[in-house]
Amino acid sequence: MLKVDHERCTECRMCYIVCRELDINAVYIALEPLHRIEIDPEACTFPGCTACLMYCPAAGSIVETETGRSVVPPPAEAWRS
Amino acid sequence: MHKLLEEFLDKWVWPTMPGAPGAEFRLKITRERCIKGWELNLARTLADIEEELKTSDEAWKKAHALRGYAAEGVHMSIKQMSAQLLSVDIAEQEKYIDLQRMRARQIWDECKHSKLHADVLLGKGWVSDERELMDIAQANVQPLPAYFGLSMMFPHIHPLARAAQNYYTEANACLGIMAYLHLVDDPLVRHEHLSQQDEELMHFMEGKFQLDFYCTDETSQRHVEDALGYLLYQIGGIAEAAPAAVR
Repeated sequence: MLKVDHERCTECRMCYIVCRELDINAVYIALEPLHRIEIDPEACTFPGCTACLMYCPAAGSIVETETGRSVVPPPAEAWRS
Repeated sequence: MHKLLEEFLDKWVWPTMPGAPGAEFRLKITRERCIKGWELNLARTLADIEEELKTSDEAWKKAHALRGYAAEGVHMSIKQMSAQLLSVDIAEQEKYIDLQRMRARQIWDECKHSKLHADVLLGKGWVSDERELMDIAQANVQPLPAYFGLSMMFPHIHPLARAAQNYYTEANACLGIMAYLHLVDDPLVRHEHLSQQDEELMHFMEGKFQLDFYCTDETSQRHVEDALGYLLYQIGGIAEAAPAAVR
């Protein structure tokens, strides 16, 4: 599973655009006071899909929920077959 | 290859979404054309900075800030990108709605960038109010032809032509920022660059996304290739990138 690190995320919304373009729609605007970008773990298909990682410009802003490991910039296993 | 370019390529250029329909085209133009331009631009920027750092006065910082103010934000970007937003046909709005969103966001980013250049001028005491810049010619002129600037306000080439500018030119911006942060200690100059870093990288990512997802047919790829040729040859002065008719 993936989550957004709000200390690093710039709210540029590239992940939202990419996820929507692929019709996965796991990235959404949270219904909380700051209305920040979040990733719905039920809809996100990571590691099957790694598309948002390829277009995120803010290093460290998407992390693996379980390990806390940053996946931006994308590690090799996310894109090299 | 310079280590800054190698770092940029490894982190942001080579990672590619598996199955992205336009990725093969993007990687082809990257290998065959962009890297050459990025290498040259980075080398020029590093050499310029090294020369600038040899001088004992701060005139170069003022010249940079004035030039940056003219090139980004209130003058260049609002006019250029608004024209590009308006030039997408109604019938194509649905297809390019995310492209439109990204470009609208970019206008706001570029306005912040012009403010950062103004911060240097204000912080160094060269102007006392941003409005004074309206009366300073250097803060209002661009030395380059305006293929993507004012002259394109009416005939827009193709909605995806700008993907070449986002991908190629914004990478140069990112590399320039890396070069300044690598060599310059002045806190205001670092601020001028550091606080643009994520946004310039986002603008590069817009180009990468547009190429990977939308540039999948001969027509759009031809427009990107043409725009890239312009950026490399007319703007960049790279002779090998000249159109066949010129060579």
